[in-house]
Amino acid sequence: MAVRILLVDDHPIVRQGLRTLLEGRSGWQVVGEASDGIEALDKVDALQPDVVVLDVTMPRMNGLEACRLIQQKRKTSGLEVLFVTQHDSPQMMREALDAGARGYVVKSNAARDLLEAVEAVSQHQVFTALARSPQASC
Amino acid sequence: MKLRILLADDHELIRRGLCALLQKREGWEVCGEASDGRQTIEMAKQLKPDVVIVDIGMPHLNGLDTTRQLLQYDPNFKVIVLTITDSDQVIREALDAGARGFVLKSDAARDLVAAVEALQNKRMFFTPRVNDLVLAGFLEKGHALSRNEAPDLPTLTAREREVTQLLAEGKTSKEVAVLLNLSTKTVETHRSNIMRKLNLHSIRDLVVYAIKNNIIQIQMPELRSTPETTVA
Repeated sequence: MAVRILLVDDHPIVRQGLRTLLEGRSGWQVVGEASDGIEALDKVDALQPDVVVLDVTMPRMNGLEACRLIQQKRKTSGLEVLFVTQHDSPQMMREALDAGARGYVVKSNAARDLLEAVEAVSQHQVFTALARSPQASC
Repeated sequence: MKLRILLADDHELIRRGLCALLQKREGWEVCGEASDGRQTIEMAKQLKPDVVIVDIGMPHLNGLDTTRQLLQYDPNFKVIVLTITDSDQVIREALDAGARGFVLKSDAARDLVAAVEALQNKRMFFTPRVNDLVLAGFLEKGHALSRNEAPDLPTLTAREREVTQLLAEGKTSKEVAVLLNLSTKTVETHRSNIMRKLNLHSIRDLVVYAIKNNIIQIQMPELRSTPETTVA
């Protein structure tokens, strides 16, 4: 299944790492990158991705704020948000889901969880994984 | 002949990003990847890379101690330290450990290629902040700021620093013994010596000491990229 992905993280090296993980999957395309929440909103409008892979801590506008604003667009486009963050915290994960995200994985386990997370989220399933074991649910 | 680079960072996501960045360069090859300091040393001995890129905050053996041990083994190793912080103390320790390059992770996409190029041409590479410290004379012989700031701080041996890191990471004496190929009794002796030398009374004290002295690093939640205006 074709999935168009927007990467949002303030560290170019992290975006490069995410791209390397994602572009190995047939049919998946990284359509753009952004380095903060404000740029992410502009790119969502311009590029119409299916999934936004979003960091939490970023300058200008953090990921939680960006996610809330992105959710306003979700109702018409089916767009989903997956957080990929250093915050290995149940509380932060709850905040992310409350902000409208469909998925939440921790950067330290991104190599293990990212592909499964994007797969699930692109099909509108919830996927959360702290630095223990991953959980997927419909 | 290709320039061979060994990458050491405990996050696979970061290693993949660094690998992709470096391998775009014709004539460069990432010959190996390590996820902790101990593995870095074993791989460096085996692979004999031209450049070793080491994250400061790695488990089991941090990047600074990895650098020290690599250069004790072979002073010809060229090491670039990658760090999330450029505090005075971290900079001093990286330079004292023998690193020839110092790059902030947030600026790695911009600076790391230049850093590797510099080392390839037998030069050193540091972020502008480090250059400022060098100009201010921190590295002059006899200036020894770190020693002047705390002249009475006892010095831990290399082995004691290793044990300190592992205990501060939450490992038991038995687990430390297995990792370091020592007896539990020897680890307990090191632990007693460490606590006595540093006048510490609990593992909590030890953790605080390890954090303050960059033996382990804690990633702060609100860490941001260095704003462009502060980078020359």
